[in-house]
Amino acid sequence: MPSKSVGAEYIKGLWEENPVFRQLLGMCPTLAVTNAVINGIAMGLATSFVLILSSLVVSSLKKLIPSQVRIASYVVIIATFVTIADRFMAAFFPPISKALGPYLPLIVVNCIILGRQEAFSSKNSVGRSLVDALGMSTGFILALLVLSSIREILGMGTFLGHQVMGAWFKPWIIMILPAGAFITLGILLAVALVIESKTKKRKA
Amino acid sequence: MNLSARMIIVLTAVGLISGSLMAVVGMLTKDRIAFNRQQEIEAAILEVVPGTDTSEELFTEKNFTIYGGKNRDGNLIGYAVYASGTGFQDIISLMFGTDPNVTKINSLSILEQKETPGLGAKITDKELFLRFWDNKDAGGGLNLRKPAVSSQSELAPNEVNTITGATISSGKVLSIVNQSLEKLKQIKQAGKLISEDNDAE
Repeated sequence: MPSKSVGAEYIKGLWEENPVFRQLLGMCPTLAVTNAVINGIAMGLATSFVLILSSLVVSSLKKLIPSQVRIASYVVIIATFVTIADRFMAAFFPPISKALGPYLPLIVVNCIILGRQEAFSSKNSVGRSLVDALGMSTGFILALLVLSSIREILGMGTFLGHQVMGAWFKPWIIMILPAGAFITLGILLAVALVIESKTKKRKA
Repeated sequence: MNLSARMIIVLTAVGLISGSLMAVVGMLTKDRIAFNRQQEIEAAILEVVPGTDTSEELFTEKNFTIYGGKNRDGNLIGYAVYASGTGFQDIISLMFGTDPNVTKINSLSILEQKETPGLGAKITDKELFLRFWDNKDAGGGLNLRKPAVSSQSELAPNEVNTITGATISSGKVLSIVNQSLEKLKQIKQAGKLISEDNDAE
């Protein structure tokens, strides 16, 4: 592993290796729950909780787990934290738990989490894994925030439930339907690619 | 230690530890989750049987529960019926209230639905849909008024409004209510609505 500074390890999750815009991982929750900002934030936080704790556990156990059974172990570890997050939400934030529905338990199969364990935590120290998980989590939350803000504002004329568009505005219902998720994500990915190619040219 | 033994030990240990962790979390949150659900149901009962002080479950089967609402003096002031059935997209769970003789529907409340946002999801809208369910005649089945009208007075006592653009969702709600109403009457007639504590407090 090339030794990066701790700061760079964190920053890379925000843009360079942003899980949604650059790695295209975790598309299912990204598309499914971003119809309202509050759902996007809740999903982002729940995923971060699972990602950070799983990275800590996996990186501290990396020497104990034989590589033949690593994926099975990772999945069990991830599933444990997902269940904890799910029960916690159901107990203390029932409306959000209801809005996220089956997508909360489905964090188990979110590729970002398993992907980071396999690609990073299983090869790096506990400290670096924590920084990596924090960076990826921030990147994921930011991506969900951007996506859900666009969809909620255009789809309902509100932001976090507060009216932000004037009375003249007719909500684009399609934006809060699945099609709106695909359209928004597609446009955002195109924008990300344009920015990326521009910055590359400048460097070259 | 050979590899197979190590694999078995590691997997068993991981499984045991995460299993016990989940058991602990499950126990810690169980009461709170049940309490949330109870609160939700009580709030819905109060909404559909106004004036309810205490409520109790009188009859229950899969996807169908009848609650009796009592006022402060312990007199039965109405029934709240919880029912769920298929909607346009997914299950719709709702609750409606009737008077003690099941002659009229007080009001309707949608507890859970996943209908199309902006169209079918309007079944949760008070202005557009739910207010047209207040004080309806429960003698026979209810009918849908199509096309929709804008004021309560244009509807017959046994008519409810359709949502323009969401006829199917409106119809699904109507059929859940009609079926449950029929069931409530049958159960009541058969004398199966038994209160656990018969004497009023």
